[in-house]
Amino acid sequence: MPKLSVSGLTKQFGDVRAVDGISFEAKDGEFITLLGPSGCGKSTTLFAIAGLDRPTGGRIQLDGRVFFDGSAGLFVPPEARNCGLVFQSYALWPHMTVADNVAFPLRVRGVKKKQIAAEVEKSLALVEMESYAQRYPHELSGGQQQRVALARTLVFRPSLLLLDEPLSNLDAKLRLRARGWLKQLQSQLNITTIFVTHDQTEALSLSDRIVVMDGGRIMQVGTPQEIYQDPATPFIADFIGGSNFLSGTVATVTGNVALVSLPDGQTLSVSASPELTPGRQVTVSVRPEEVHLVHESDPRPNLLHGRIVQREYLGPRYQYSVSIGDRLVRFETVENLGSVDATLAVSPESCTVFAFNGKH
Amino acid sequence: MEEDVQAVTVGTSRFFDADGFDPSAVSAERFPRTRLIQYSLALFTLFLVAAPLVPVLYQSLLSVPIYESGGTLNFDAYWRFLASPDFQTAMVNSLVLAFGSTIVGTVIGLFIAIAVARTNMPARQLVSGTMLLPLYVSQLVLSVGWFIMYGPAGYISLEMRDLFGTVPWNLYTLAGMSVVAGILAAPLTFILCIGSLRLIDASMEDAARSLGAKPPRIIWSVIIPIIRPALVYSAMLNFISGLELLSIPLIFGRPARMIFFTTYLYNSRGGSVPDYGLLGAAAAFFLLLITGLVLIQGRLLRNASRFTAIRGKASRPKTFDLGKWRYVAAGLVVAYLVFGLGLPLLGLVLRAFVEFLTPLMAPWKLLTWANFNIIFSNPIYIRSITNSILIAGLGGALATLLIALVTVVIHRSDFRWRKPLEFIALYPRAVPGMIAGLGVLWAVLWIPLLSPLHGTIWILIIAFTMRNIPTGYGAMSPVLLQIDNDLDRSARSVGADWWTTVRRVVLPIAKTGLFSTYVLMFLSFFKEYAAATFLYTRGSEVIGISMLEFWGIGEVGPAAALGVLQFVATCIFIFAARKILGVKLHA
Repeated sequence: MPKLSVSGLTKQFGDVRAVDGISFEAKDGEFITLLGPSGCGKSTTLFAIAGLDRPTGGRIQLDGRVFFDGSAGLFVPPEARNCGLVFQSYALWPHMTVADNVAFPLRVRGVKKKQIAAEVEKSLALVEMESYAQRYPHELSGGQQQRVALARTLVFRPSLLLLDEPLSNLDAKLRLRARGWLKQLQSQLNITTIFVTHDQTEALSLSDRIVVMDGGRIMQVGTPQEIYQDPATPFIADFIGGSNFLSGTVATVTGNVALVSLPDGQTLSVSASPELTPGRQVTVSVRPEEVHLVHESDPRPNLLHGRIVQREYLGPRYQYSVSIGDRLVRFETVENLGSVDATLAVSPESCTVFAFNGKH
Repeated sequence: MEEDVQAVTVGTSRFFDADGFDPSAVSAERFPRTRLIQYSLALFTLFLVAAPLVPVLYQSLLSVPIYESGGTLNFDAYWRFLASPDFQTAMVNSLVLAFGSTIVGTVIGLFIAIAVARTNMPARQLVSGTMLLPLYVSQLVLSVGWFIMYGPAGYISLEMRDLFGTVPWNLYTLAGMSVVAGILAAPLTFILCIGSLRLIDASMEDAARSLGAKPPRIIWSVIIPIIRPALVYSAMLNFISGLELLSIPLIFGRPARMIFFTTYLYNSRGGSVPDYGLLGAAAAFFLLLITGLVLIQGRLLRNASRFTAIRGKASRPKTFDLGKWRYVAAGLVVAYLVFGLGLPLLGLVLRAFVEFLTPLMAPWKLLTWANFNIIFSNPIYIRSITNSILIAGLGGALATLLIALVTVVIHRSDFRWRKPLEFIALYPRAVPGMIAGLGVLWAVLWIPLLSPLHGTIWILIIAFTMRNIPTGYGAMSPVLLQIDNDLDRSARSVGADWWTTVRRVVLPIAKTGLFSTYVLMFLSFFKEYAAATFLYTRGSEVIGISMLEFWGIGEVGPAAALGVLQFVATCIFIFAARKILGVKLHA
C-alpha cells in the first residue's frame, strides 16, 4: 500500500481550475518533487495535503487514513493530520525564542515538560542550531531560520514532510549547500517527503521521482533520469534542462531510421517509431549539450549547417545560437568563434521526436 | 552575519529511531471547540447589536408601553410623530446644524491637513500633535468651555462689549451653533484626510507642475480629487455626527428655545409617563435616517479603488514652498487652535477655580475651591467619577477582548458567517448613542432575564460596547491584516487547533494593536454620555451625566470643575498609555 495517495484532486476558484483532477502516489521514505512553473497548482496541491487549503474534489489518503474525500464531504483539519510543513517564508513566530518555536508542537500535544526540553534539544542538534536556542527569529540569518523551521517541523515526528520551496529565499551559494544538507537529512531520517519547487536543478538533484505539473494537471511522472532523457511533451523538454526544437516533416522511413526533412531542405535522421509515417508533421528536440560543433567534412551522420547569429559568454564556455531552418539551435563550446558558418552534429539517439497530436 | 550552513554530516544521532517517543500518541482527540467558540462570539455580537434595535422598532409600532402586555401593532405613533410641529422644527434645525457644521469643519480640517502634510508651514509637528487632543476629550467639556468664553454672558463676549460696544457673534443661533460644532469637528476631518494626503505619490504633483500648473491649481485639480474618498467619508461622518450632536443643542439651543432632534428625544426622557409610542417612533425614525446615510456613505466609497494614487508605499511627499505666505498659514492655524480650542479650555479651567468669571474683576481675587468641594462632598458626584473610571477601565478591557476575538474570527478563520459578522460589527455606526441607550433600556425592561442589569453600570458597559464595536474593529483590523497568514497556518500544521493558534500565536503577535485598541476604547468609554442619558439611575451616573445635571440647574462652576477633572484624567491616561503600554496615539 502506498504511504500517500492523492487521487482526482481538484481545486476550483470560480471558473478557474487551479488543480484539475491530479493523482499520484508516494511510497514510504520516497522523496517526491512537484515541479512546475508558478501558477501550475503545485503549492495548492501541497497545501491541500497539509489541510490548509480545502480542495473542491478528489481524495487524499495517508497511511490508509482518509484526510479528504470530496464526495463524502470528509475533511480532516490540518492540526489532526500530523503532517510537517516547512513554509517558503519559514513562518517562525516572532514573539517566541527558537526553543519556544520548536517546543510549540510538543506543548500543544500535551507532552511533559521534561521530555519537551530533551526533544527540543535533540531536534535543534539535528539541524546544528542548539547554541541558538535562546535567540529570537529576527536575530537569525535566512539559512538559520530555515533550519529552525525544519527542526520545528521534525520535532513532532510528522508522518509526512511537506516542503514549500524552502530553498528559494536563500542566496545561490547557500542554496547549493542547503540542498546537499537537506538530501542527506531526508535520506537519513527516511521520511516520506513532498517537495515543491519551480527549480528544475533542485528537482533533478533531490528527488526519487518528479511530478511535472502545468496548468493544474500532471504532465509526466518519473525518475529524474526518465524526465530528463525522455520528456513526454515539448513543454517538459523545454522546462527541464532547456531544449532546441526543430520542426519538420517525416520524409522516409527505412528500417529503424526515419528521415525528417527540415523547412530549409536539410535532413535529420531519428529513431523510427510506429507513429512516424511519411508526411507526418513532427517536432524534434535536442538538448544543447548533445549538439556538437564539428568540422565541415566530419564523417558522422546528421550534420546540420547554419550560421552563428548570437553568442553569449557563460564563464567556463560560450553559448552560440545557430540559425537552422526557421529555428535557432543553441550549443555550448569553449571555443571563441565569430559570426561564421558552423556545422553541427546531432546523434540520432539524442533526438526526441514529438509527432503532432501525441508523442512518437 | 556569516552564513554557516555546511554540508553537515548528521552523524550518528538517529532521530527517528524507535526510542519510544511518539508525540502523535500523546495528542488526545480534542473536543471540537473551534466552531462552538466562533458561533458563540458571532451570536453574542448579533445579540449585542440587535438587542437595542429590536425593542426600538417594536415599540415604534406598539400601541402600549413595551413592558405591558396586550396592545396592537400599527403605524399610529409614526403619523402622530411626523405630524407634530415639534418634529418638523427639530428636523429642520438638526439638518441645518449638521449641514453647517460639516461645511465649517471640512473647510477648516482640510485647510490644516493640507498645510501640515503638503507645505513648508512652520510648526507642522506641533500642529498635528495638538489637533489630536480634541478627539479624545468630550465634546460636552469643550462646549461648556465655549459657553464660558463666547456665550452671551461669556468672558470674551463681555470683554468685546466693553471694548467695542457690541458683540459680533451670537451662539444662540443656528449659524453660531454650526460654527461651534464645525470648529469642534475639524480635528476629525484633519485626521481622516491627513493620512491620504501624506501617501500621495509626489510624482503626481511633479507631473502637474511640469505641465505648468501652479501650486493652488495643483491643490484644487490634483490633490483634492485624489483624496476625495477620504474627504467624502469625513464629510459624511461629520454630517452624521452633526445630526447626533447632543451637547451643543443642549447648551446653546435650549436657552434660545430651539428644539433639535436629539434634544427632542432628551426632553421626552423626563416626565413621569413618557409617550412610549411617540418616543419609539422618533427613535426608529432617527435610526433609519442615520442607517440610510451610512449606506449612502458606503455606496459613495464603493468605487474608491480607482483612486489608486494612494499606495501603501511610503515615498517622501514633496512640500510646497509657500514663501512668506507660510507665516500667514501658520497664523491662521494657530488662531484656530488658540481661539477654537485653547481659550475655551482655559475658560473652563478658570471657571472651575473661581466663584464667577467676569472681565470686571481679576480672576485671582475670586479664587475658590468651592466648585470642587461641591463635587467631593457629595457621594453621588464622587460615584459618577469612579463609575466613569470603572466603566472605561473594566468595560473598555472587556470590549477590547470581545472586539479582538470578533476581528480574529472575521479576518483569521474559515468561519462560514464571517462576512455577515463583519456587517453586524460595523452596523452600530448607524446607531446614535442616545438610541443605543434607549434601546438597551427597553431591552432590559422587555426581557425579564436581563432585568437584574437595570440600574447597574453593566447596562452602561453593554450600551457603550455596542456603540464602539466599529471603532475597535477599525483599530484592530489593520493590525491583524498585517500579520503574515503563514504564521497561523504554520501553527495549524504543527498541530494547534484554531483556538490555540489564536491564543498563542495571533493575539500575542498583535499585542501592540490590542493595547492601542484598549486605549481607544478607554477614551471613548470615558467621554461617552449620550448613550447614558436614558440608562443611568441613582448609582450608575457617569461624569457627563453629572455635568448635565449641574448644567440643568444653572450651576456652571461645578460643571466646569467636573469638565476639568475629566480633561485632566484623560491627559493622565494618554500619558500613562504612552509610558507603560508604549501606545502612541497618532494620525
